[in-house]
Amino acid sequence: MLLTKADKWLIAALLAASAGGIGLNLALLSPAGAQEAQIYRDGTLVQTIKLRAGYREELRLGGTERYNLVVADDGRVRIAAADCPDQLCVRTGWVSAAPQQIVCLPYRVVIKVVSTAPPDVDDITK
Amino acid sequence: MTDTRRLIILGLFVAAAGVLHAVEAWLPLPVPVPGVKLGLANIVSLVVIELYGWRPALAVAVARVVLGSLLGGAFLGPSFALGLTGAAASTLAMAYAHARWRPALSLVGVSVLGAAVHNLAQIAVAALLVASAAIFWYLPYLVLFALPTGLATGLTAAYFLARLPRVG
Repeated sequence: MLLTKADKWLIAALLAASAGGIGLNLALLSPAGAQEAQIYRDGTLVQTIKLRAGYREELRLGGTERYNLVVADDGRVRIAAADCPDQLCVRTGWVSAAPQQIVCLPYRVVIKVVSTAPPDVDDITK
Repeated sequence: MTDTRRLIILGLFVAAAGVLHAVEAWLPLPVPVPGVKLGLANIVSLVVIELYGWRPALAVAVARVVLGSLLGGAFLGPSFALGLTGAAASTLAMAYAHARWRPALSLVGVSVLGAAVHNLAQIAVAALLVASAAIFWYLPYLVLFALPTGLATGLTAAYFLARLPRVG
């Protein structure tokens, strides 16, 4: 086998680090409680949309070109359409629990789901 | 080896890496995470580091990103910035690991490290581009994905070098 001992340690360390990160990611998911979607463009907060059952709101960012169509519906939010080249933001689909997010890198748009109820982990994450 | 011969061989490596870079942009990956790529062009970086050292490897990597983004029509866009930073950072990290830890760490280990550094650098640029540190939440998923791809590219480079006829 081509792998040396140091290779295996490196792989094990990276595996442990990513598993830990994913675990932390999942542990911080807070589907319960009131939530809202914060929509950022170029790093500035454009709008917040409430995420709750039965409530629908649409928001179009950009003009006829370079646009993202944001749809919040029934406690979830997604980018329903965009004319960016990679379509990663559209393919991300619905997100509904903090700290999930949708990113559109070409147009510098970030949609963050945040919990409006004060979470007890705030001191750690800040 | 003469300078002309070296220039020609490095030029061929740039062409090969540029094609790999462009082709992998066409491959759809079933993961909706920005920045996830196979990193096929890293094979060329590893080979050039092994054969010629870090300076030619860095030059080939930068030339590859410029060429690849021109072929893909993304020159000077956000993905160009990501690609350039990722390629430069991972090539330098791999060259350093290759020079310092080579006998203990095999070419495959160097490759895995390079793939992880590639993701780290890209995430950092992406966070700057959208001005949001929340992007770093993607990092564990990217690193997890970098392990198999780094292994694959490292093994490919190792097999390529083992079968390369020693001329010049």
